[in-house]
Amino acid sequence: MSEHDKFRELLALAAADALTSAEEKQVAEHVRSCIACSDELGAWRPLASELRRLPTPQPSSWLLQSTLARAEAKLTEQAEHDWNRRVLIVVVAFAWLLMIASWLVFRVVSGRFGSLLEPQFSHTWISFAAFTALGWLAGGVAAVMLAVRQRGERRLA
Amino acid sequence: MAVDADVVRLRRGDLNALSELITRYQNRLYRYLLRMVRQPAEAEDLFQQTWLRVVEKIRSFDASRNFDAWLFTLARNLAIDHLRRIRPQSLDEPLANSWQSETVADRIPCKDHTPLDHALAAERRTEISEAMAGLPMMYREVLTLRFEDEMKIEEIAQVTAVPLSTVKSRLRRSLEQLRYALEARYPGGTWQ
Repeated sequence: MSEHDKFRELLALAAADALTSAEEKQVAEHVRSCIACSDELGAWRPLASELRRLPTPQPSSWLLQSTLARAEAKLTEQAEHDWNRRVLIVVVAFAWLLMIASWLVFRVVSGRFGSLLEPQFSHTWISFAAFTALGWLAGGVAAVMLAVRQRGERRLA
Repeated sequence: MAVDADVVRLRRGDLNALSELITRYQNRLYRYLLRMVRQPAEAEDLFQQTWLRVVEKIRSFDASRNFDAWLFTLARNLAIDHLRRIRPQSLDEPLANSWQSETVADRIPCKDHTPLDHALAAERRTEISEAMAGLPMMYREVLTLRFEDEMKIEEIAQVTAVPLSTVKSRLRRSLEQLRYALEARYPGGTWQ
């Protein structure tokens, strides 16, 4: 490819102001001495100029309102989701604390009144463990059911 | 207020910030999407989806990045997914141009501007818009980003995720194809 052809390829980009300053300088020098390239650049410029002035299509005001409404719903949903997550974390932490605390209390009480409880100790302990496990299970099932229902409601909305 | 401040407020869930951002970018974003998909109904749908995506992803937005580029990248990804689903052929790379070596430019006379040219400006722009709509998606995209959104080549490279050299090459080819299309539609350079 000759030097002339190389510069000729750059003319469209020159009209688009997309050359580096070094390239721009080289093209300008070449164009000064080459009538064909000067004419070619002159032909590109009106097109580039018109492209910069094409009419801008306007979105309807309905679109903006609708977008804002949907985005607001999304923001609310996200805030709700964040809140639910935080509440869940607190509830789980509280449940664990309560269980550990109740176990400690149970140990203290069973130690003090161990002699009185001794005959039923294993039975009481098993009941306590079963009650705790049942509570966790019920909580888990309720959480899953709530999540499924909420998702269904969101889908319908 | 600066875009950055609105972005920070939006990250905190401020709806007013979102409203300001949508107002600020509405024309540019809608125009970009319309140039990409060409159908107003589809552009409107993608416009909404883009802002929902912004709300969804704003927390992961790196504040050191350019918000314009990030926004247009989100819009672009949605538009490309949409085009892939609806009209896969519209994403095809154009075939090699046999006309590139021809001197099409020489056949388009370069006239001096006259009052008549000014009077016909609106008509010319409509012709250019129509010819532009007939170009492949990636060419329409680079033209609208460079000339209508006045993005720098570096910003276009960021949005389209391609090297600078590719952006320049696409820009050059898109201009050549546009000129060729105009010449084919309006022989004798009547569009000028």
